[in-house]
Amino acid sequence: MNEKILEVKNLETSFKLEDGVVKAVDDVSFNVYKGKTLGIVGESGCGKSVTSLSIMRLIPNPPGKISGGQIIYNGKNLLDYSPAEMRKIRGNEISMIFQEPMTSLNPVFTIGNQLIEAIELHQKLSSKECREKAIEMLKLVGIPSPATRIDDYPHQLSGGMRQRVMIAMALSCNPHVLIADEPTTALDVTIQAQILELLRELQDRVGMAMILITHDLGVVAEVCDDVMVMYAGRVVETGTVEEIFKNPKHPYTRGLLNSIPTLSKDPTGKAKKKRLETIPGIVPSLLDLPKGCRFQDRCTFVKDACRTSEPELRVIKSGEHLDHSIRCIQDI
Amino acid sequence: MTDINNGEVLLSVRNLIKRFPIKGGILNREVATVRAVSDVSFDIKKGETLGLVGESGCGKSTLGRSILRLIEPTAGEVFYRGQNIINLEHEEMRRLRRKMQIIFQDPYASLNPRMTVEQILSEPIEIHGLAKSTEEKRKRIFKLADLVGLRKDSIQRYPHEFSGGQRQRICIARALAVEPEFIVCDEPVSALDVSIQAQIVNLLQDLQKELGLTYLFIAHDLKVVEHISTRVAVMYLGKIVEIAESEVLYENPQHPYTQALLSAIPIPDPTLKKKRIILKGDVPSPINPPNGCHFHPRCQKATDQCKVVWPKLEGVKGDSLVHEAACLYADKRHGSDESILKG
Repeated sequence: MNEKILEVKNLETSFKLEDGVVKAVDDVSFNVYKGKTLGIVGESGCGKSVTSLSIMRLIPNPPGKISGGQIIYNGKNLLDYSPAEMRKIRGNEISMIFQEPMTSLNPVFTIGNQLIEAIELHQKLSSKECREKAIEMLKLVGIPSPATRIDDYPHQLSGGMRQRVMIAMALSCNPHVLIADEPTTALDVTIQAQILELLRELQDRVGMAMILITHDLGVVAEVCDDVMVMYAGRVVETGTVEEIFKNPKHPYTRGLLNSIPTLSKDPTGKAKKKRLETIPGIVPSLLDLPKGCRFQDRCTFVKDACRTSEPELRVIKSGEHLDHSIRCIQDI
Repeated sequence: MTDINNGEVLLSVRNLIKRFPIKGGILNREVATVRAVSDVSFDIKKGETLGLVGESGCGKSTLGRSILRLIEPTAGEVFYRGQNIINLEHEEMRRLRRKMQIIFQDPYASLNPRMTVEQILSEPIEIHGLAKSTEEKRKRIFKLADLVGLRKDSIQRYPHEFSGGQRQRICIARALAVEPEFIVCDEPVSALDVSIQAQIVNLLQDLQKELGLTYLFIAHDLKVVEHISTRVAVMYLGKIVEIAESEVLYENPQHPYTQALLSAIPIPDPTLKKKRIILKGDVPSPINPPNGCHFHPRCQKATDQCKVVWPKLEGVKGDSLVHEAACLYADKRHGSDESILKG
């Protein structure tokens, strides 16, 4: 039933800095299933964007390097591919939407130029057909009068429109996997609702797999099937969306869920909190990680054992296609 | 804390208008105007937090800055403790700014990278002559650092040595250095991570209680705004379309725009698949706002009348008197004779 399309095994990506080598992604493994959405959650610097750039093999080298692990796509390890082979995959079979629609489009070319470039590169179509395909894509993502809009420059479009163009571009070659890195963070709530609705609709229609990277747990709850929570380069909790939201077991996941203000009219029926719960302190520097659990200094449940060795990811409840696992020695 | 309902009005804004000219052509004449804020009026009572929400480009930041005259408003009046501050001379305004401060969104850009925290905090104290000796000044700075939760030994450091949340604490300390009564918080938590956001929101609430501050809290995150605000105003294309006590607004939104905004908030519960109102299109340009109700091109309930008549902010029946909405159909939808009697 659940067909694995992308398998990331023990991925390790490191950056060489002046002060030493940091592992931005440290032993991260996950699976992406056809037609399903995996959400990667975490705060800035937790390694979620580096994970996605690693899959696309877009880590700038130097200073960055994928120093270990495997990324299996269709039975083959993407890390063994030559740059030329990788170019055939990138944008064609695995596509990505970047966070900032304002800066990811080239301001001196029309959006048509940029869309057509992607289509020409990966599909054998005449230039007229390419343009038609581009217009069709713009229509698909809900841009009004696409046949005239195609000749607009990025600055003539609003933020939401630009993000739609990015999505159109990412989808133009019918990718099997779409990586969306904070696709709605820079947008207003009403536009965010439009874009999420659009992504969901397109996923239903095309059946692609999606990796959604975000720090907004509300978005995760609405869009994702599976969730992976990251902290300081590590996976700290993973499970199905229902499990994670109903039974969060890692103190960090709990902290994240508790620190968002709830609406008083929140249909979940939770009472409005007078005071927000916080996670004290800040994320540790990757150059100066504490011995033992990386979350220890901010954790309210910390014990001596947490400070001696780093806990392994352990299964606490097995699931149909994804077990609920946490990187914590305690049962809270 | 003062009783909000009977509390004195600290700040009144009356018919505030801000237009930005767009110049062009060979003669550099005005070719168009951006109507960033058009005809906005409201009061803020002492000790309360008025939340101001709206999408980007709706004029909420311009409004916040116009109140402090960091941007000179085109027309209208702003009364601070009954005094009209729009006509004040430069020097008088500067003295008054001691009482009115602002915290900006971007803690990275709003601190001078070449000054230590101590220098940053000394500046306002020196300008307003609030300390007689160096020693007194230092004592004040330590007190400020303590108030916002910065370690004492960190005041010799430069802004780049701090994380985003810490930097926002420095900005808050700087605003508090002159003992203000009123602070405009312009998206103070938008640039921060969720766990840090909660820390800063709590800090702002604690400070309000401790120092009796009054806030104008500008944000686009409706959940944060509801959490912190006593009352909330919703802005759309330069106008306030709805204003009410925070619980009332979220419980019984009257304006279709408020309803759409609220329904667009993602709820962190996967078992809920709620039916949302998806707005079509983007916010229209404030250069050439649509006739009639500015919201009508995106409104599901719009009728022909909405295209001609600009609805005024009017009280909503059935709710407390402070609930006002600018929609032709707001009143009729919820009003009943019974509730008028109650009200």
